[in-house]
Amino acid sequence: MLYDNKSSSSPCFDKDSGIRVAKRSSEGHCRTPAYIRGKIGVIERYCGNFPNPEQIAICHPKPDVIPLYRCRFYQKDIWPHYSGNDCDTLELEIFEHWLEPATF
Amino acid sequence: MHDEVLKMGPHDVGGEKYLQIDTEDHGMTYWEKFSNGLRIAVSAKKIITLDELRLTAEKFGDEYFQMEYFERNGKALTHACLNKKLLTDKELIAGKKRHKENFTIPIIELPDPKSIIHLHDGEPHTHSRDDFQEDEKGEGPPDYFLEMLTIADILTEKKLIKMEDIFLKIEQFDNQYPARGIDVVTRAWVDNSFRDFLINDAKNAIIDIGIKLESFADIICMPQSDKTHHLVVCTLCSCYPRALLGMPPSWYKSRSYRSRVVYEPRKVLEEFGTIIPDSVEVKVHDSNADMRYLILPQRPKGTEGWSESALSALISRDHLVGVRLPKNVI
Repeated sequence: MLYDNKSSSSPCFDKDSGIRVAKRSSEGHCRTPAYIRGKIGVIERYCGNFPNPEQIAICHPKPDVIPLYRCRFYQKDIWPHYSGNDCDTLELEIFEHWLEPATF
Repeated sequence: MHDEVLKMGPHDVGGEKYLQIDTEDHGMTYWEKFSNGLRIAVSAKKIITLDELRLTAEKFGDEYFQMEYFERNGKALTHACLNKKLLTDKELIAGKKRHKENFTIPIIELPDPKSIIHLHDGEPHTHSRDDFQEDEKGEGPPDYFLEMLTIADILTEKKLIKMEDIFLKIEQFDNQYPARGIDVVTRAWVDNSFRDFLINDAKNAIIDIGIKLESFADIICMPQSDKTHHLVVCTLCSCYPRALLGMPPSWYKSRSYRSRVVYEPRKVLEEFGTIIPDSVEVKVHDSNADMRYLILPQRPKGTEGWSESALSALISRDHLVGVRLPKNVI
């Protein structure tokens, strides 16, 4: 999914707000791993706006520069049979068009 | 372990069941270094972007993991150059043939060992057959390296890159980058105000001590503590703070590390000999987009008053990725 005409978008999500990573498939190049899609976490920080890699990969002449966030998840919320501790976490970067608001 | 329907391609391995990790670093051959230097020279000049190269490799399907890392990246560069018509199939074939001839070595008979008598410490010395060893890997460089040499020739002829760009990258990766991360960490160990700056704004803190970062990516520094143990992976490819640590080790690029560390980090850490107490949170950073991560280990106990250069001897790259911890001195 591309993200057209949002070159100067300001971030929609605040730090610590609940998010769900969209559970959809993708075509072409994308930086949202399958294992995190559909999972619920929180915004750890807003990283700034970066060019959309999905567009760069197909030589889009003017890729959108869009908000990127670091998101935090409890491991037990990602893997149903997580073998470590309940306090263990995972953090990764997700572009805004892959995030939906979520409540716990 | 995850929804196969959503899996993007062979590269998207986070959560796959996989075998034990080979925790040794196997280093790099010259042709791997050359291929890496070329790839970086090409993407730095925006002739082909990193994301285009990644997409090209991802389209290899089942072949993706049948090729080793540098072969896969090299072949992706070849495909992307052909797609962009930077070179033709004919030029590629002719260039590979020309370069292959340069590696042809005439077969010569080994001398009869008994005919070689010379002096050792003034005494006559005769060799036996076992003293000679033939080169068992004398078949020359891999096919993709011939492609890389051809691409380097053609892009140089077109004045898109210079050979010096490639050789500079090889030199920087060998001799400059690996020391930088260690310098940053030792500075943070001896200078609390720098440590705070590094944790709050790593890229500017690093630039502030005179390190010129070539990388586009932002840098985040995560300090190890008694409460949290950080470690880094890139499940989609091999994102790594190269400008601070050099090239990632073999295991960092392996399918086993990339697939397992996101769902069983404590087991993976154990394979590196690192036991994290239950009371400590393990936090995995999947370095999947535009940030790069430097892990700041705690200063080893018993090093009070040590100089930065003395401290640097205690640090290895593995500490700065978070898979191992520096040992206390006392």
